[in-house]
Amino acid sequence: MPSSNNLRKQPSRSLSKQDELLSIQTQYFVKLEDLKLTRKQKCLRFVYDTDTKKVMGRTPTSWSKIGLFYLIFYGMLAALVAICMWVFLQTLDPRIPKWQQDASVIGTNPGLGFRPMPKDNEESTLIWLQGTNKANYLNWFDNIMEFLDKYYTPGKIEKGNAYLKTCSYTEWPTETEVCEVDVKDWGDCSRDQFFNYYRSSPCIFLKLNKIYGWTPDYYDDPYDLPPDMPKHLQDHIRNITRLEERRNIWVSCEGENPADVEYLGPVQFYPPVQGFPGYYFPFRNSEGYLSPLVAVRFLRPVSGIVINIECRAWAKNIHYNRAERMGSVHFELLID
Amino acid sequence: MSSLFKKKIERKKSLSRKEISLARLENFRKEVITDTHSVPLGELCRRLYTDRETGLRPEQAAEILAKTGPNTLTPSTKTPEIVKFIKTLTHGFSILLWIGALLCFAAVVIRMITTHEMDSDNLILGCVLVVVVVVTGGFTYFQEHKSHKIMESFANMVPPKATVIRGGETMTIMSKDLVEGDLVEMKFGDRIPADIRVIHSQGFKVDNSALTGESEPQFRGNECTSDNILESKNFTFFSTNAVEGTARGIVVACGDQTIMGRIAGLTARLQPNKTPIARELEHFMKIISVWACFLGVIFGGAALAMNYSWIEASLFLIGIIVANVPEGLLATVTVCLSVTAKKMAAKNCLVKNLEAVETLGSTSVICSDKTGTLTQNKMTVCHLWCDSKIAHADSTTSQDEAKEYNGSEGFKVLMRCATLCNRAEFIHGEEDKPVLLRQVRGDASEEAILKFVELTKVESSPSIFRHNNPKLLEIPFSSTTKYQISIHGLENGRCLMVMKGAPERILARCTKIFLNNKTKELSDELRHICDKACTELAEKGERVLGFCDLLLDEKYHKDYKFCAEPPNFPRRELRFVGFMSLIDPPRPQVPDAVQRCKSAGIRVVMVTGDHPITAKAIARQVGIIQAEEVIDACNMNIIETLPVFKDKAIVIHGSTLRDMTNEELDDILHNYREIVFARTSPTQKLQIVEGCQRLGEIVAVTGDGVNDAPALKRADIGIAMGISGSEVSQQSADMILLDDNFASIVTGVEEGRKIFDNLKKSIAYTLASNVPEILPFLAFVLINIPLPLGVMAILCIDLLTDMLPAISLAYEKAESDIMQRPPRNPKTDNLVTRKLYFLAYGHIGIIEAMGGFFVYFAIMAEHGFKPHQLFGLRQKWDSETINDLVDSYGQEWSYISRKELEYTCYTAFMISVVVTQWADLIVCKTRINSICQQGMGNMILNISLVVETVVACMLSYIPNMNYLKFYPVMFRWWCYSLPFALFIIIFDELRKLHMRKYPTGWYRQETYY
Repeated sequence: MPSSNNLRKQPSRSLSKQDELLSIQTQYFVKLEDLKLTRKQKCLRFVYDTDTKKVMGRTPTSWSKIGLFYLIFYGMLAALVAICMWVFLQTLDPRIPKWQQDASVIGTNPGLGFRPMPKDNEESTLIWLQGTNKANYLNWFDNIMEFLDKYYTPGKIEKGNAYLKTCSYTEWPTETEVCEVDVKDWGDCSRDQFFNYYRSSPCIFLKLNKIYGWTPDYYDDPYDLPPDMPKHLQDHIRNITRLEERRNIWVSCEGENPADVEYLGPVQFYPPVQGFPGYYFPFRNSEGYLSPLVAVRFLRPVSGIVINIECRAWAKNIHYNRAERMGSVHFELLID
Repeated sequence: MSSLFKKKIERKKSLSRKEISLARLENFRKEVITDTHSVPLGELCRRLYTDRETGLRPEQAAEILAKTGPNTLTPSTKTPEIVKFIKTLTHGFSILLWIGALLCFAAVVIRMITTHEMDSDNLILGCVLVVVVVVTGGFTYFQEHKSHKIMESFANMVPPKATVIRGGETMTIMSKDLVEGDLVEMKFGDRIPADIRVIHSQGFKVDNSALTGESEPQFRGNECTSDNILESKNFTFFSTNAVEGTARGIVVACGDQTIMGRIAGLTARLQPNKTPIARELEHFMKIISVWACFLGVIFGGAALAMNYSWIEASLFLIGIIVANVPEGLLATVTVCLSVTAKKMAAKNCLVKNLEAVETLGSTSVICSDKTGTLTQNKMTVCHLWCDSKIAHADSTTSQDEAKEYNGSEGFKVLMRCATLCNRAEFIHGEEDKPVLLRQVRGDASEEAILKFVELTKVESSPSIFRHNNPKLLEIPFSSTTKYQISIHGLENGRCLMVMKGAPERILARCTKIFLNNKTKELSDELRHICDKACTELAEKGERVLGFCDLLLDEKYHKDYKFCAEPPNFPRRELRFVGFMSLIDPPRPQVPDAVQRCKSAGIRVVMVTGDHPITAKAIARQVGIIQAEEVIDACNMNIIETLPVFKDKAIVIHGSTLRDMTNEELDDILHNYREIVFARTSPTQKLQIVEGCQRLGEIVAVTGDGVNDAPALKRADIGIAMGISGSEVSQQSADMILLDDNFASIVTGVEEGRKIFDNLKKSIAYTLASNVPEILPFLAFVLINIPLPLGVMAILCIDLLTDMLPAISLAYEKAESDIMQRPPRNPKTDNLVTRKLYFLAYGHIGIIEAMGGFFVYFAIMAEHGFKPHQLFGLRQKWDSETINDLVDSYGQEWSYISRKELEYTCYTAFMISVVVTQWADLIVCKTRINSICQQGMGNMILNISLVVETVVACMLSYIPNMNYLKFYPVMFRWWCYSLPFALFIIIFDELRKLHMRKYPTGWYRQETYY
């Protein structure tokens, strides 16, 4: 065997290397004293080892070293985040959203909102009114007032460079102007009358979600109205003779089911135009801008029964989907 | 022994099958202690109620058969497949995921009952979790589902028929009907049907190599020669082969009680240790599970304390569980291992048990069988002595080394003698084949001599030479005379007697010697020289044969009627011509392979059933023993008085081993680097393996015989030979060397170490993405921001985008010469170390999470929700009734569009994880080298980067993905996390640079995983 002869002649150097490996290997062998320790003793020794002065497996110096390292490392990371964030925020305009309408997830289909919203339960949309209970209706009153405060005292909102203007269908605001919302337009649904909550013919305020730059496409042709539009709203639109006054986002409120319609009784809208006047749009995030509101007064709702109400906003570019609550809002009314 | 055993079983009849199986295992472990081979024959016959002439009566046999059962091997009890499957379904992370799924379904049901709405999100999530569990469980099940056919392979060794004498009549019966006490006839070519004590033999030889590892056929007669049943010459063993002669004997053990039956039972019932990689993974999964439960309980509790509802708290819990569990990891590991298994199969290492792929890499001790593993299991002429010098016999076809001897006359005379005094013949029809591959009919030693003669071409061809010098008489070898004689008519008309045999017997008959072309008197001086030569060869572990001849007087011409009994020709005063020595030589690649194993820090221990001298000689030749001094521990006294010599080798005899306590064995295994165990029984092999394992070593066992089977099964990795290995050994092994090349083990070690390193990288890669999965949930609960990353997106990261890159790391090439370092320490060098957790979670994971959060806040801000506004917004954001949530630009968001924005953030967050994972993948390619040194040569990895990206695009941009909460993401959002990806690469390159520069530095100590 030639190769075996070679092996025998190999220098002793390889042996010393083997010795080295063997000594590493012998370290593998189970340390007997380790086996004798119980689980609890092992735990205790892990928490504090009296021999090596190790706390939780590390000596205090080791702990401080690693602590310092992480401090520096996370400091660097935080700096990186801060720099990135700062650079990023520089690219944002404080007034104009980066993505608008269709470029943004918000889209071009504003939803409707209502006030007062029940506060005690986040998931509920039931307005439960006890007309004779003063505490109750004052509660609802406060709820609405919280929302309407800025309408009644416009001075509270910060004045920007935009001018407040009393707009009309003929006088639309310029870029630098915002339209005033006149609380007197709400007629019976006024603060002084406690929004008629004490009379059990409550007012509900409707608002359209603000979307930056969104302009409505009005139903302003009386002969081109959608077939599912309530009859009385169609009549109402046809009764308005001047074209520019038909430039509104119309609002309708009805009981969801025939029974609800019956229980709900007559409905009155303020301002009487029954919609959001077009001159409030588009919303440009100007300071002092207030959303136009429509107050809906349910004159004689039947008491003691939960009435399901759905309000819709009508414009050609507001799409309606009841399941996804697009272009409409749903709430329940219960009057005791 | 059988009666003892049976009683035990009967007493325990009320026990479960498993307990019986365990009891059997313990019983099989014990060494056989029996006197059936040593008691006088009459006593034995009385004991077995049999007759040495007529055997058992048939009805008596039937009675015993009814009592003891058939002569077959009892299969071990098997776990039903369905139980195994269920086990894999509840294994590791599966429990956690089941909990998650159940919570999902519970949430769905509660929602159904309270609001009559279908909670499709949770339903989908629950179903996905169940599918993940079942698919990974099924995957593992099919990988682990190896049909163990050990018992079947043993059963194949049982001969179907046996010839018995019952009631004085000879009959052939099914061997399963054989009972103790039966008188059995055996002839050459048969398999032995049970453990049989020979009472009458005619040149009967058996091949015990499967059982004891002895290469040569063993003679069997009626004398008891040893207390040890395995060494006694009057005993034949179940399922060994008879190669020559005929014999008659009494069955003393059947079925499971036979030596082979015990090996079979032991092998089938032994439970091997869990493989190192399985242990590592189990450890890892335990830590992750505990961590996940800890976080889950803490945050579930915190959520409850913060007045979240039970449903919400359980949803947090689901999220935390799903985020913590690397769902794809088990599948990744399995695929990585099978990738390597395939690579190894291409290099002729067939891996049967997938986890064994890595085991070889962690191996610290190889216990190797000698016969057939280190050696060729083929006797070969190794040395010859003529003209008073020893020559190394060249058994190669080239005959390069033969020049130094083949010219001499003495050699020619020796060759003539060897050719003529030889009963072996080449099988016809193979004349075209190379000599070494041709098949030979006859004894192994004679075959070796025949082939040697053929190769030297001294006398053209042996068959022609024999034809020219026809054989007139032959006296075959017998164990009493220990020689073999044949008489040939020479071409010149005279007759030549040639003789071959044990050297001392041959020399005793010689008075002359053929030396340097002259026939001389065999003086005492010359005789002494011959003796010395013989001893020298024998010490090399070689089997020495002496040759002598005598040219007969003219009166013995060709027509003389030679007669063997009684011999009518002179058999004394012969002329001595020389010795030939034979050995089963090592395979040529073995010495180199052993050397490479040693340089890789792996000890190679020889464990053989063969004689100590042969074992030692082979150990020297292959380099297992390199030390100058070898201690022969042939009895206990030596062990007890042994000082510790680390630089000495030790040869331990099986009988010594039997007397040693476990502690003594541990000491030997601990203290000696070079160890050879000789004359070991199968159970002792097992004992040695278990001894090594007790010391915390990871043991590989190589073997080819049935006697290796228990050790192969018990070892951390059993390696069997593909060509020469018995079926039993192959069934018990985890790996098969298809080309019988021991050097393939080195390849296996290399691949095993590489895959271990690469698995570390793979896990480091996978774990990093856990942090950006967990933190969004924590932020959601603690700082009340809208959820940045949904559960479905987490699942998609774990199961889709991260999978292929993690697998591709298995193809990464090694960073350094992994064969120059010692095997890993299974105690401290874990697969997943503390450092790895720190690096993956504390460094890279955190950076990734920061990248994700940055993208999240950026998208929110671009849409109007500036960061400061988001804190504490969660309740309003998630309230379905609030349809006019105001953002920082005064825009009012309905619930639907808010959720769409949130889901867009999920997608963008996921994509940011994908982007930072690109960097992580590049970083994980190396553990210490720079990426510039390693290069991007791993094409699978490069492809996986592309695939990962394509998958992320598909999730984001396919419109129907909206159902799974994926929304299209703007191109610019992909880029927002690039600074963080860059930071990962720069940080890690600096870290590695520091580690390379300061190999003992703090960084290396703390972060080199």
